[in-house]
Amino acid sequence: MKDKLNYSYYPGCSLHASAGEYDLSTRELFKQLSIGLTEVPDWFCCGATPAHNVDELLSLSLCAKNLELAEQVEGDLAVACAACFSRLKTTQHVLAESDVKRKQVEKAIDAPLKLDGKVKHLLEILARDLGLERLAASVKKPLAGLKVACYYGCLLTRPPDVTNLDCVEAPTIMEDVLKAVGAETVAWSHRMECCGANFTLSRPGVVIQLTNAILESAKEAGADCVMVACPLCHGNLDIRQKEIEGVYSVNYGLPVFYITQLVGLACGLSADKLGLGALIVNPMPLLKEKQLL
Amino acid sequence: MSRIGVFVCHCGENISRTVDVERVAAQVGKMPGVAFATDYKYMCSDPGQTLLKKTIQEQKLSHVVVAACSPRMHEKTFRKAVEAAGLNPYLCEMANIREHCSWVHEDKQEATAKAIEIVGMLVERVKKNRVLPTITVPVTKRSLVIGGGIAGIQAALDIADCGHEVILVEREPSIGGHMAQLSETFPTLDCSQCIMTPKMVDVANHPKITLYSYSEIEQVDGYIGNFQVTIRRKARSVDEDKCTGCGICMEKCPVKKIPNKFDCNLGMRPAIYVPFPQAVPNTPVIDRDNCIKFKTGKCGLCQKVCGPGAVDYEQEDRLVVEPVGAIVVATGFDLYTIDEKPKGSMIKGYGEFGHGKIPDVIDGMTFERLASASGPTGGKILRPSDGKEPKQIVFIQCIGSRAREKGISYCSKVCCMYTAKHTMLYHHKVHDGQAYVFFMDARTPGKAYDEFWRRSIEEEEAVYIRGMVSRLYQKGDKIVVMGSDIAVGVQVEIEADMVVLATAIQPRTGADSLAQKLGISYDKYNFYSEAHAKLRPVECATAGIYLAGACQGPKDIPDTVSQASAAAAKVMTLFAKDKLEREPIVARVKEAGCVGCFACKKVCAYGAVEEKEIRDRQGNLIKVVAYVNPGVCGGCGTCQATCPSKSVELDGYTDEQIVAMIEAL
Repeated sequence: MKDKLNYSYYPGCSLHASAGEYDLSTRELFKQLSIGLTEVPDWFCCGATPAHNVDELLSLSLCAKNLELAEQVEGDLAVACAACFSRLKTTQHVLAESDVKRKQVEKAIDAPLKLDGKVKHLLEILARDLGLERLAASVKKPLAGLKVACYYGCLLTRPPDVTNLDCVEAPTIMEDVLKAVGAETVAWSHRMECCGANFTLSRPGVVIQLTNAILESAKEAGADCVMVACPLCHGNLDIRQKEIEGVYSVNYGLPVFYITQLVGLACGLSADKLGLGALIVNPMPLLKEKQLL
Repeated sequence: MSRIGVFVCHCGENISRTVDVERVAAQVGKMPGVAFATDYKYMCSDPGQTLLKKTIQEQKLSHVVVAACSPRMHEKTFRKAVEAAGLNPYLCEMANIREHCSWVHEDKQEATAKAIEIVGMLVERVKKNRVLPTITVPVTKRSLVIGGGIAGIQAALDIADCGHEVILVEREPSIGGHMAQLSETFPTLDCSQCIMTPKMVDVANHPKITLYSYSEIEQVDGYIGNFQVTIRRKARSVDEDKCTGCGICMEKCPVKKIPNKFDCNLGMRPAIYVPFPQAVPNTPVIDRDNCIKFKTGKCGLCQKVCGPGAVDYEQEDRLVVEPVGAIVVATGFDLYTIDEKPKGSMIKGYGEFGHGKIPDVIDGMTFERLASASGPTGGKILRPSDGKEPKQIVFIQCIGSRAREKGISYCSKVCCMYTAKHTMLYHHKVHDGQAYVFFMDARTPGKAYDEFWRRSIEEEEAVYIRGMVSRLYQKGDKIVVMGSDIAVGVQVEIEADMVVLATAIQPRTGADSLAQKLGISYDKYNFYSEAHAKLRPVECATAGIYLAGACQGPKDIPDTVSQASAAAAKVMTLFAKDKLEREPIVARVKEAGCVGCFACKKVCAYGAVEEKEIRDRQGNLIKVVAYVNPGVCGGCGTCQATCPSKSVELDGYTDEQIVAMIEAL
């Protein structure tokens, strides 16, 4: 057994708002797995999509300041949101490649950067740092019989030389984690397609079209539910699902879980501790049917 | 005392523009040992060479230094001239004051000073040059051809027609290679089998060709003119001399459902089989992994029904040693597959295409088998999954080729043309079908090639979409092709019944280990390297080994046949003389100092270092020393640099000479 794992933790804005259940289930799961998680003190928004569309220096500086704050806390930086993950990794990548930009950013945030810490998505921590074997050993209630469509979205694996998470075109890390906790994963076509992301506010029609294709393909592949690792993907697939069913006159009824919720369930955590009640598409009937509650 | 002559060339203005050649001649003329020095406008011209020859005789010169261009350019020219004047050619050296001096400097004064130093160095070196006799090597006038595809067949026939014996070695049970699998060929649409099989029969009937099919190269020893090749003749379990090719064994074999590799696994074959009906030799082979007799000891039906008693379950692999003088390597290619590649591999698969899990996504060779009259569907284009005729078919070019992100950056050269051909074959067979082609560029340089491609669009109604495909996925019984049309700037989605991938050409699996046996070099993809990309395109850097066909790089049939004939011509050039003459710039071992550590043997790229026993008069072994075979030595000098006891030296580049050059500075 390795020494206890410890991470600094960057929840990001969504996890303190619309994706509160992702934050809650992450903290509870890590506690259950005895992985240390210390929230970065005084962290703030990574800039997300707007910042880098407007001003590169601003977007780099926002992330760099957060990285600098995280450097004060022991351990690699654990990130839950796919967009925060992408921005923080991109910043590390750009600053490591360009001395000029690094100097500009250090001047902007008025602090020197070490840039030696690693930024890790929760998936990497579960699959690699903890490891699939140790994860499997922590399972109390295997998710037997639950057919899950793992949805990667855009940002976890792309661009490959920046995120370096898994094979860019055919990743398996989500499936690996779920198989370790006893679930079944389905082979489906739309696991890497875009859900429309934050066009959900400005061009909802586009998002409804894209998200419908994703849900349709998951349903066709025989999935009981969808699993995500990004609050925005979750919003589009879960919150918009009822609306989509209305527009296309279909009935999907696919609960959309966060990875930490499903893994937490397998590790014996209760529905309350995982915030399952916050999901819009009610997962309880499915979980009862599969005798997982 | 040496009487050295120095000839400084102007090279038109190439040298004299930045080097004061007259001053160089004057200065060098004063050096000890130099009896004569002059300058001349073009030393390599006929009057220049005449000047050289005349001066050697008049001045009774003992050595010559020509200060001009690179020795790679004209060393042979001047050595020949020196020899014509009665001096040993290896007493002539070149001082490179063009590439190393005038071309790379601007300041005339400095360049002149440098030129004087360069010539001075060569003067000191040439003083210590020895008279070297030309090395002669006997030639075995038999040739080995490795690979029985169209390249190997063409080379073997050309050499044999010239009257020399050829050993043709083929790994598979039949010769024919990939060309035998093709349906029709571009740009004339003549049937591949019709033009190929007569050549295969010619090979079988040629009195000068010995065909070893189902055989592989085990070991290669020796050197140009004198190779010893060990060939493993794999156990066929059928005696080639007794078998009449009647085929009754194949009819009676109870195992019938083994996917036939020749038909890209679409058709089935028995456990005792010939890969295709026109096979040469028409002798079956037992696939021991799938034969009931070999798996359980029971059955034995083929042996019972065989009239001439040719089936032999006891047969074992045999090793045959053949002496040959030249080797033509024509091992061909494999097709890239889109499946997941081993971890750490430079080359990646296409996960976005489902790693080849969709049954109706096939490669170009599989399409060839579908389109072939002798193929598993009798020439009908049918889907492998359900046997239905595809009405919408999508061809995607550059799968693996020109795809740096997948690890292959080269162009496979034949795919644009064969995809155009596929659209035509499809249109001829499925009249109400529609073909789409996704392509990056159409590369059609070749006689009647572009016309052929235009025809596929203008007359055969193929729709070409410029852009690549991002993903393929199965939806019901359709395959959704998601691509982009960059000419219009829109995303395209086609629901296809079948998708054909023009996959990249790669060297044969195991090409690297064969290269190591042969001692030839290969690039990072394992394509074999030619000695010079432009001027020696069919020769390997290793003397006596020649290349033909796609083992050197992607090639179409016309190019392959041309190169095979060129390789054959090179072999015949070699065989035109009874003895080979070669430059005597080789390494020599000073046996007294050699301690037999054989560090030189480990570093020798040519395999020239042998072990030699030194014995006293009573025959007692005193020690084992290194011996450099002058027939094989490439004259690179690596052994000299490696030897810890300074006991091996390259003629013309001895330590003494190099020190003398440094001291001249």
